[in-house]
Amino acid sequence: MSGATDRLRRRVGRVRTQRGPALVDAGLAALPTLLAVSLGVVPLVLLFVESVSPPVTIENYAALGGSVYPEIMIRSLGIGVAVTLVCLTVAYPVTYWLAHRCPGRYRLPVLVSFTLPLWLNYVVLNYTWVWILASDGVVNAVLTGLGVVDRPLDLLRTASAVGVGPLELPGLSLGLGFVHIYLPYVLLTMYVSMERLDYRQVEAARDLGAGDLRVFLDVVVPETYAGAVAGALIVYARIAGAFATPQILAAPAEQMIAQIITTQFYDVLDYPFAAALSVAFLAVVLAGFGIGALSTDVRAALKRW
Amino acid sequence: MIAVAERTERARTERAVDRLRGGLATAIHGGFFRVTVGLTALFLYFPVVVTAYLSLSPASQPSIPLDGATLRWYGAVLTDARFVRGLVTSTAIGAVTAVAGTGLGLLAARTVVRARLQGWVRLGVALVVALPLFVPTVVVALGIGVAAGRLGLGFGLGPVLAGHLYWVLPFSTFLIASRYANLDDRLGEAARDLGADGVTAFRTVTLPLLWPALVASVLFCFALSFNEFLITFFLAGSGVTTMPLEIYGKVRIGATSFLNAASVLVLLLSGAVATAAASLEPPT
Repeated sequence: MSGATDRLRRRVGRVRTQRGPALVDAGLAALPTLLAVSLGVVPLVLLFVESVSPPVTIENYAALGGSVYPEIMIRSLGIGVAVTLVCLTVAYPVTYWLAHRCPGRYRLPVLVSFTLPLWLNYVVLNYTWVWILASDGVVNAVLTGLGVVDRPLDLLRTASAVGVGPLELPGLSLGLGFVHIYLPYVLLTMYVSMERLDYRQVEAARDLGAGDLRVFLDVVVPETYAGAVAGALIVYARIAGAFATPQILAAPAEQMIAQIITTQFYDVLDYPFAAALSVAFLAVVLAGFGIGALSTDVRAALKRW
Repeated sequence: MIAVAERTERARTERAVDRLRGGLATAIHGGFFRVTVGLTALFLYFPVVVTAYLSLSPASQPSIPLDGATLRWYGAVLTDARFVRGLVTSTAIGAVTAVAGTGLGLLAARTVVRARLQGWVRLGVALVVALPLFVPTVVVALGIGVAAGRLGLGFGLGPVLAGHLYWVLPFSTFLIASRYANLDDRLGEAARDLGADGVTAFRTVTLPLLWPALVASVLFCFALSFNEFLITFFLAGSGVTTMPLEIYGKVRIGATSFLNAASVLVLLLSGAVATAAASLEPPT
């Protein structure tokens, strides 16, 4: 009897104190939320307003249509997809080894060394490729020194010329530069999923006679799908919208969308057009995410991740 | 009798062959994985090693192989007024961003993980904070740049600081949140049952338990801010220069031994900070 009363009293007490903590919590939440809204949401709204100004016009968007810009946008997105796929292809075996084959005491140092470039300056990391690929760089010095080639190869800032229509693969230096920066992100997200993969499932599949390819396609891929999706989600838009990397490592013919946007903002000082360009770009990127999110597979995978 | 012996013999041989084949497969297998991992490590660090090697060149344009080795370019970088100014500015902005970004990240993490608020509010906060991870950085940078221009806030140190804070917030929030979520909720309750008020319970129980994540967050935020390029590029105006802006300006002009030495210095500095952070709060 007295136990029940106690319980009741406690519940009343909790109800009475509930409003106070909620207010305090809301107050504490306000500061970071305010920063995130005023520097994230408000600028995006202003950007949209800017893109339809002066007063209200769709001129800026109309100017987009008949120009080279759609082509540049498609190229940027295509490069984003290509580089993301390369990163995933490398990340699968590397993180599988790291999570399930690597001796325990090496696991953390190796993981840290693979993710360290995340915290390094990407302008500097991109720049390091210049001396490797330049005509008087390391690769050409070795190749000409060994007599493999007579004259230095054009490795730096040369477009690939491989592609279908506006969809092109990045040139060698641009592709290497991108993979160098974004591979660590994909390695990190993939590792999280790979670690959760129960190795006994792999063993069970092997015992039932599955070959390597079978195990990879039927066990490893479905079990680590979430990490791949999360990694792709984080790097794809960043690659497509990169500025410094193409500035340093791309051929003139490989201009990407962020370079155009920056020029419009910095040199041409045409804010409305720069805004229209970036709103259109954002819309295309978000549409890509939307198509992804429509797939229940991806949604379920992300929830699990 | 003989038939049985023969059969066992054959079975044994078959098993041995199987084992051998299995061993061979494992070796090829292990070899494939080890080679891939080795090549990945080489790919990530070989360019850095080459740059470090070339930074020792006596000439301002290194020739491969180098004819001699000297540290004179490191001296040149450390006495170059513009570079030193960039380094000081980047360090100062990084320090402020690191501390303030971690404080804000702690508040945001608490909101996402523990606040007694409705689920949709907490999810909303998490989404708004995570926004810069999914919106292309150039759009974020242009948005803040246009906003600063149109609202008359101007460019310079203030907007750069605000931009950096915004940029590091998702990282500090999710780093701290992952540790926060693993804390035993009953510890705080126990403190409160023993008569501690909310602030005391937080200060004496929760905060010490979060400490490693907080220190790691300070270091990671410093590294992120110290290396941030694009947002600074849009917001700095003409008065402010940071280390990444200086390096970018020099890269556009051309590659030299001076730049190699500057790059190595920057990589060493932020690499040391990030390694210290990772040893406190390893990734994942």
